[in-house]
Amino acid sequence: MGDERKSMLVLDDIHKSFGEVQALRGVSTDVKEGELVTFLGPSGCGKTTLLRVISGLTKSDSGKIVLEGRVINDVTPDKRNVQLCFQSYALFPHLTVAGNIRYGLEVHKWKKERIKERVEELLHLVHLDGLGNRRIDELSGGQQQRVAVARALALEPKVLLLDELFSNLDANLRVQMRTTLHEIQRRVNITTIFVTHDQVEAMTISDRLIVMNQGIIEQVGAPIEIYEKPNNEFIASFIGYVNILKGEVKSTGKDTEPATVSTELGDLEILSSEKDIKAGREVYLIIRPETVYIGSLEEAIEVNKFKGTIKSIMYAGSTVKYVVDIEGRDLFIDQYDPTTLGIRSMGDKVVVTIPRNVHILKE
Amino acid sequence: MAEARALNQPGLLWQNRKGFLSAHTVDITGGLLFLLLAIFIVWPVITVLVKGVFGPEGFTLEFFREFFTAYYYQSFLNTLLLGVLTTSVCITAGFCIAYMTTRGPRFLRIPLKGITLLPLIAPPYIFALSLIMLLGRSGFITKAFNLGWDIFGFPGCVIAQTLAFLPLAYLIIENTLSSLDPSLEDSAANLGASEGKILRSVTIPLLTPSFLKAILIVYVMAVAEFGNVAILCGRTPFLAPDIYTIVTGVEHDFNMAGVLSMFLVLPCVIIFMIQDYLIRGKGYVTVSGKPISAEPRHMTPHILIPMIVISFIACGLILLSFGVVGVGAFTKLVGIDNTFTLSHILDWRANEALINSLKVSLLAGLFGALLGVLIAYVVIRGKFRGRSALEGLYLAGFTLPGTVLGLGYLFAFNNPPLLLTGTMIILVINCLFRFAAVGMEAGITKLQQLSIEVEEASLNLGASTVTTFRRIVLPIIFPAAMYGFMYVFMTTMVSLSAVVFLTSPGSPLASVFIFQWAQYGYIGLASATVVKLVVIVGICLAIIQYMSKWTGLSITRRG
Ligand SMILES: Nc1ncnc2c1ncn2[C@@H]1O[C@H](COP(=O)(O)OP(=O)(O)O)[C@@H](O)[C@H]1O
Ligand SMILES: [Mg+2]
Repeated sequence: MGDERKSMLVLDDIHKSFGEVQALRGVSTDVKEGELVTFLGPSGCGKTTLLRVISGLTKSDSGKIVLEGRVINDVTPDKRNVQLCFQSYALFPHLTVAGNIRYGLEVHKWKKERIKERVEELLHLVHLDGLGNRRIDELSGGQQQRVAVARALALEPKVLLLDELFSNLDANLRVQMRTTLHEIQRRVNITTIFVTHDQVEAMTISDRLIVMNQGIIEQVGAPIEIYEKPNNEFIASFIGYVNILKGEVKSTGKDTEPATVSTELGDLEILSSEKDIKAGREVYLIIRPETVYIGSLEEAIEVNKFKGTIKSIMYAGSTVKYVVDIEGRDLFIDQYDPTTLGIRSMGDKVVVTIPRNVHILKE
Repeated sequence: MAEARALNQPGLLWQNRKGFLSAHTVDITGGLLFLLLAIFIVWPVITVLVKGVFGPEGFTLEFFREFFTAYYYQSFLNTLLLGVLTTSVCITAGFCIAYMTTRGPRFLRIPLKGITLLPLIAPPYIFALSLIMLLGRSGFITKAFNLGWDIFGFPGCVIAQTLAFLPLAYLIIENTLSSLDPSLEDSAANLGASEGKILRSVTIPLLTPSFLKAILIVYVMAVAEFGNVAILCGRTPFLAPDIYTIVTGVEHDFNMAGVLSMFLVLPCVIIFMIQDYLIRGKGYVTVSGKPISAEPRHMTPHILIPMIVISFIACGLILLSFGVVGVGAFTKLVGIDNTFTLSHILDWRANEALINSLKVSLLAGLFGALLGVLIAYVVIRGKFRGRSALEGLYLAGFTLPGTVLGLGYLFAFNNPPLLLTGTMIILVINCLFRFAAVGMEAGITKLQQLSIEVEEASLNLGASTVTTFRRIVLPIIFPAAMYGFMYVFMTTMVSLSAVVFLTSPGSPLASVFIFQWAQYGYIGLASATVVKLVVIVGICLAIIQYMSKWTGLSITRRG
């Protein structure tokens, strides 16, 4: 991306193994000043390890970590100016809320009055005014998590690392906390790396998304870019459940003409921005469930129509999730607004329309 | 053990419910258990203590006045001081080793842990024996360097006791340390704290409840311990050996023994009364959770070096002691005639004593395990008042100094209708009542997992009482019973303080035999018997472990 901001943190080919397990297999990226980047990946893909390497709690086997132009590989965690918020929060249970926030300040021998001021300021920032004397176990999960953030922010680190910050909260609180975090991050304008295995969370929170799998980076980009144009099958299915159709290019369109791909369903017309689609090539088409139209009437557009039978129905409030059997192949379809459109029944014969602007996987 | 259960609330779900035993049966059993408790724990203890204030002319405080004459009072003070010294050294060493085995380099963890736990399979006085062989008047080292000094008195007692109680202190501290989330220390480091600061401000404060627990238990054990102190006291008076001397020696002064017993029990009672206050009152944070294998911490030299040195000294001494006793078993007369001999190992008197010990220990183990789980069941499922008193009193029996309970049995069961003195039965009963509490605690922990609904369901489905017991209760309680058996068996094999008063000259137990030969200076014979004892206990342990794997029933108490 043509980002003009200056680099805050650069990772250059980081490797880390635990015995046989290769947790990180060459991770490189560049985080800009004030940016909020999210590392998204399934459990065990190396997210925590990466954050521990950045904070210095774990030593990488090879690769360079550069903070503001300075290589910090050999700087100990206490001198790195990088704060990690642990997934478990790791709050000191024997100290109060204020005691936790104060800890780093005391270690750094701040003056008493300054500590007091700073603690008040942080409590206010994370909306915990007046709770300084509470014991940690008297707080709710959401409050504990904000104490952890406040404690990490206390020393004004250059980079804030957040490890699955919301994974211990229930669904409603999560949404609320995301907003709070966003607001805090904007307010302090701190460079933040957020890791999560939850794609929705990752999509909503970040400027830039980095998808990781098995210790390597699979794709980097804005959330919408990754959602609409995943690089591979892994990302496509990880980001949201999708229909992946295998097919062979029959004919390429000239200029704005559509190309034709023959698939298990039959021939599909697609409009693709990909330049290198040649006849005879094997491709994978990514068809998102919410883009498929389901209807029983003949519609105006004559292309990409297929006859099928409703095989399963799942009502989920604002959407209905259908599985439609077309020529023995299952197609997932999401239909919004069931109140207006009505819900179909099992075994109904339907006609589905697949849009022409589907994404094609490069490989 | 005693400490594991402080916070449980037995019997919450048991109002008007039916388990595999009817509520009525449970109540009757409870009454029976109270009766046994009264006869075999309360009554003997009272008999001893009463001797302290009742002379031939009735009630008197004369014996107390006599106690405060210089000698016995000094002995009391010495005992308290010994407790303080042993506890401090033992807890320090236990912490260092626990820290190394949970936070230190991986290759050190298993060896250090293994060596630290080694004393569990040996009689505690193995360390007294080895210290005499090394640093006694004619010990290897004393002779080799021509030292004008020997180990008797405080130094010997503190070292021997420290090593003997190290496994206990270690296990208590390690248990907490291994469940302590390493990310707490990581986050302190990330916030800029040095390793020393992390220890002071995070690790140690969070370990405080464990430290208190370990301190209390080690202190009580150190004050009450008999074997090491009796062998190593030299001219320094201590309570436990004093009681033994005035009862078995020429003095035969039972009244003074009663007074001394009171002063031996006193610290234990006080300590256990303040335990609750200390641990509950201050609102310490208790660490709980599953043990985690933490990454090795990067330790700065000024922390790593003292920890390594202390751990290595303690483990080195344990290994050395086992080695020396092994060598002593095959040496004619340690320090004087260091030639190889098989005569100690082949000595038939020792074998006879070992067989006696085995018999007594097996019986005590069997009945102790049964008693333990029976109390557990009654405490959890009973609905009569005084259930927790029942549990508490059995626990008290466990923490009582062996010397006092041994003496108590000697006094209490010396007349018809309970004329038991001099029989093997008295040994079995004494040991099973003293140690049953461990099986009881394990049983309570297990039974709390088995909700009464499960038993009810089984009965509702038409299963008979017997079937319910066999299919539902037994699989749950069996590991606890095994654990209780193992504990009672192993402890009885090596226990000395109580049985030393109760064995008859005709059929000694191995532990008493070892103690007496050691006192008379027959170190070779004593060592050889220790070696055999360790081997037997080790083999039994291995068999039980194997069996538990084979039957698929775990004997460990976790889960
Ligand atoms: N301390 C460790 N020892 C051994 N293996 C580890 C350790 N930490 C992480 N791993 C392994 O490294 C991989 C990545 O782990 P982690 O970074 O925790 O993943 P994530 O946070 O993405 O779930 C996993 O396979 C995990 O088992
Ligand atoms: Mg993780």
